[in-house]
This record gives sequence, C-alpha cells and structure tokens, in this order.
Amino acid sequence: MEIADLPIATSHRANLLAAGYSSLAALSAASPPRLARDLSIEVHEAEEILKVAVGANKSKGADGPSTSSVLKGAQNAWDMLSDEQSRRHINTGSADLNNILGGGIHCKEVTEIGGVPGVGKTQLGIQLAINVQIPVEYGGLGGKAVYIDTEGSFMVERVYQIAEGCISDILEYFPHCHDKAPAGQEKLKPESFLADIYYFRICSYTEQIAVINYLEKFLGEHKDVRIVIIDSVTFHFRQDFDDMALRTRVLSGLSLKLMKLSKAYNLAVVLLNQVTTKFTEGSFQLTLALGDSWSHSCTNRLILYWNGNERYGYLDKSPSLPVASAPYAVTIKGVRDAVNSNSKRVRVM
Amino acid sequence: MAATSASGGAGCFPRPPPSGGEHGFVLGVQEKKQDEEGQCFLDGMDLLKDATENKRFLPTGLQGVDALLGGGLRQGQLTEITGQSSSGKTQVCLCSASHVAARQLGVVMYLDTSNSFSPSRIARIVDGFPISLVREPKNVRLERVMSSIICKSVFDIFDLFEVLHQLELSLKSKVNNGGNKICLLIIDSISSILAPINGGKYPRGRSMMISVAMILKKLAYEHNLSVLVTNHMVAGNGAPKPALGESWKTVPHVRLVISRERGSKICAATVLKHTLLVFA
Repeated sequence: MEIADLPIATSHRANLLAAGYSSLAALSAASPPRLARDLSIEVHEAEEILKVAVGANKSKGADGPSTSSVLKGAQNAWDMLSDEQSRRHINTGSADLNNILGGGIHCKEVTEIGGVPGVGKTQLGIQLAINVQIPVEYGGLGGKAVYIDTEGSFMVERVYQIAEGCISDILEYFPHCHDKAPAGQEKLKPESFLADIYYFRICSYTEQIAVINYLEKFLGEHKDVRIVIIDSVTFHFRQDFDDMALRTRVLSGLSLKLMKLSKAYNLAVVLLNQVTTKFTEGSFQLTLALGDSWSHSCTNRLILYWNGNERYGYLDKSPSLPVASAPYAVTIKGVRDAVNSNSKRVRVM
Repeated sequence: MAATSASGGAGCFPRPPPSGGEHGFVLGVQEKKQDEEGQCFLDGMDLLKDATENKRFLPTGLQGVDALLGGGLRQGQLTEITGQSSSGKTQVCLCSASHVAARQLGVVMYLDTSNSFSPSRIARIVDGFPISLVREPKNVRLERVMSSIICKSVFDIFDLFEVLHQLELSLKSKVNNGGNKICLLIIDSISSILAPINGGKYPRGRSMMISVAMILKKLAYEHNLSVLVTNHMVAGNGAPKPALGESWKTVPHVRLVISRERGSKICAATVLKHTLLVFA
C-alpha cells in the first residue's frame, strides 16, 4: 500500500506527497499536530489520516500466515472455542434447567426468560443474582449482579431467604471446606450476598433507556459484575407507548446495546419478559410480549410454563443447543429441581 | 450459465489457476481493466468467462437448500435468508461457514450482531463431516477448519461501515497474494443493525441502509465474495413478511425464506427471488 492508494481525500493525498511523506513508514512516524502543521489542516483531520495509515499498515502486515489479523479485533473460531470451553456458566439452581441450558446461563450472551405471571420469572432472576456470587472455590463465578427492577417485584426479604438457602446448600455440598477455609467463611454471609447486588428501580421507560445507556459507564467502573438482570424489560414499554414503530426502533437499539455490553464486559444479560396472546391460524396462542421484531433480539430464549401442577422450562431458541424442556420447582430455598425428578426426565423434543 | 453450474457441489472444489491466463483473469475483473489501457468495459464473453471461472457456488452443506439455490451461495452475489425467530437462520449460516471452510474454498468472515456465533456448534458440525473428504485426523481438521473462520462482533451501523472499510483495504492488499482469500462474508443478522435507524422520521437511516447494500455488492463483485445476510420477519398485513421494507427488497440477488413448525426439527426453505433460476 502506498500513499497514493490511501483511502483519503485527494487533496490530502496530494498535500502529503508535496510535504514529503513518500511512504507509509514516514507517515506512521509523524504525530497528529506535526502532520496538521505540515499539511496546514485541522488536528482532527490529521488524526483521521493517521488512523487510516495505521489501518493500512496493519493490513499489510496481515499478508503473513496469520489470518486473524485481517480485521482488527476479529478472532478466529478456534481461539473462540477454547475461550468458550474455559468459561463457567451461572447455575440456575436446578440441575435439570442447567442441563437443557448447556450448564447454566452463559456469559457473553443475552438470554430472554418469559412466562405467565406467577410461574417464577422473578424467582429465577433473584436466584441468578445470588448464584452468580457463589465464590470461585465453590464452583461459582464469584461475580456481582446488577438488578434493574421495573415492576417493583424485588422483595428483599425473599432475596435474603434465597441467599440463606444458597449458603446452606454450599455448606452441605462442601462439608470439608467448612473448617479449613475461614477466609471463605467471611464471604458466605447472606449480608455480603445482598451487598453485592446493585439495584436500580426504574419508574418509566425514559429511565429504563437512560439506565441502560448509563450501564456502560457503570460496568466500566465495576468490572466484577457478571450478570445484568432486567425484570421486566416489557413493563413500561407495554404501558405508555403509542407509536409502535418508534417502540420497535427504541427496543432494537436497546437490545444491540445490551448485546454489546455482554460481549465487552464478559457478562450474562438476562431479560425477563411477559406474555401476551396472539391470534394465529384461527386460535389465540400465548407468545412473549413486545412483538415479532423483539423476538429476534436475544441469543437464547427460555420459556417457563405450567404443565398441570408442575413448572417447566422450555428452551425455545439457542444457537448451539437443541430445543428441550425440563421441570423445576420454586421452594423456600429458591429455584431447585422438581421433587422426584432426575435428569432422565429431560425430554429432548 | 445455470447449466454449467448445475452440477452443484462438484463444481465447488478449488480449481488450479489457469496456466498462463491471457489477462491474468484469476485476479478478478478489476485487474483486467487496468491491464488493457483505454478499455474500461467488458464484453459478454469476458463476463461469461469471469462467471464460469471466478463465480463459484459455495455449498451450504444442506442438500435441499443447495438444490434450491442452484448449487449454493454464488460468489459475487448477495444471498439473503429470512425467517421467524428461531427458525434456523443462524444454523444455516454456521453450517455454510463450516462447509466452506472444511472444503478449503477460502476464509470465512463472520460478522455477528446478536452474540449467536457459537464455536461449539461449529465444532460439532465439523465433527459430523465424513472424514473421507480430506485425509487428516479429526482434531487436525477441526483446528484447520476453525482457524479459517474469523468472527467479529458488530453492534452498530458505524461499526459495520468501519469493518467493511477495513475488509476492503485488506482484500485489496491481498489481491496479489492469492493464498487465504476471503470467499464468504456472513452477516448475522443485518436487520438487527438496521432496525434501530430505519423508518420513521429519519431519512438518513434509509440512506445508510442503501450504502451498506452498495458496499456489500461492490465487495461481492470486485473480490468474488459470496455475501450471506440474514433478515428478520415482521408482522405484515396478515402474513409475516421480511423486514427492512421495499427499498431493501431489490438488494439481494437471492432471497430465501425459512420456517420451522413449533416443536418440530424440520425446517422448510422457500425461494422468494432468484436472479438465475426460472420457476414454472
């Protein structure tokens, strides 16, 4: 690549050559202010030119065997595979649910969880906010949680209860760690679990948009957050929105932002959604709210439903896992396996 | 032209470069223009030759879909797959990426907008290939295949412009290199990037959409890329229809709709538009 081939304005190219910048190497050695002075242009223009030149230099270097440098920031699938395999997942509390989800809720992905009122969406949300904090030595992620509450259904007493349940399960599972790790004991208090949940209470859709925009800054300062839960993403957008086309645009913008956050900060985003009825093929059917365009904006979708008296989770969408369903239960301790069930009962459909 | 390529997958294996090609044709149309000074047009025979030599059909690996597409994803063309949520669009993309990479047709560039690029799924697809294709141990093949699939996350339209620009630069500088050339560009999904800026009172969004289309088609034509994009379905009057409206409709050379019955494993594909095939 020569100066003459750089994709910049023709006048700039001519100026560069006239000022004596005959090769990319000479150009890459220049600083923006100096270049601006030599070419008598604005500093920001000079910065642009340098950026282009650096990019061109990079792509020239990519002629070698390594193909992953074709594009800055791109990764090849082989590296991503080993990265993915080393990652831990967030336990849902129920082994059957973990099973159909491929180990739990995945980081770097957006998972939508929907279901009728009372089926346990919020319970699962709270459970995830607690389980993400299970220390690394006990098989968890040892991260923190952000909980964005739009409906006011985050009951702190219940959270305390679930945290206690979680701790008692850990101690039961790792009895030998009980005595020899006093340092770990410090962390295993419901109080410290509660302290590590950052809670935002949202009262209108404007606030919801604002808080998601603010999250980028917040997560930059709190790098140990591993999950963001929005309970529910639907509520305000269902109430006071008249212009449906605008709603679709705003929501798809939000979902792209959340995708970006989950990738950039290596965290899981969990969106809880309500259900609505839809008239298709002569009958009313339950589907998730917010419409068809929204349904594309998550990586995974888990639908919670009642089957008789049992609660079931149904994996409706996933790029890597088959469609499947599994029972679970909501107990005093939180989300757990359904009684009398084992992984044999997981039905792959 | 359709007749020459109807042989399907067999036509897709890498060919040896033509011995002492008259115009260095293997370098693409662009080079020819510069070689012969003063002549900046191509006649029909040039085009036919370019089409048969450089515009191969890349297999998706799905027999039914390949048959519908007249052989696969054609280089130099833009193919669109549209369908409801969880109808299998991403699966077609992942499957095509692994097949193209496995047959050593070139490097696959995968632009991911919804964090749905799943390396473990690709590993499973590759693992299922018959070993007879190329004689090498499975783990060696897996590493080779997966190293020639490059993924980048893109989250807004400006990112996309930036990435496409960089891609063009690196393709240009690689023209003479020949080696690991990118042959397939996948964008999954283009509509989630375009949706936030599209419609309403923002005419700028529409023009950005059209410039994305122009850049993609230019890349496809000049560098013999096959471009595969996925699109959403939105509720239309009555039946669901592909998103992005009328002005996008003219952009893809081939449009394919896929659908899946809820709870079933079988996906059905339908061709909406095809520039080569005629449907009686």
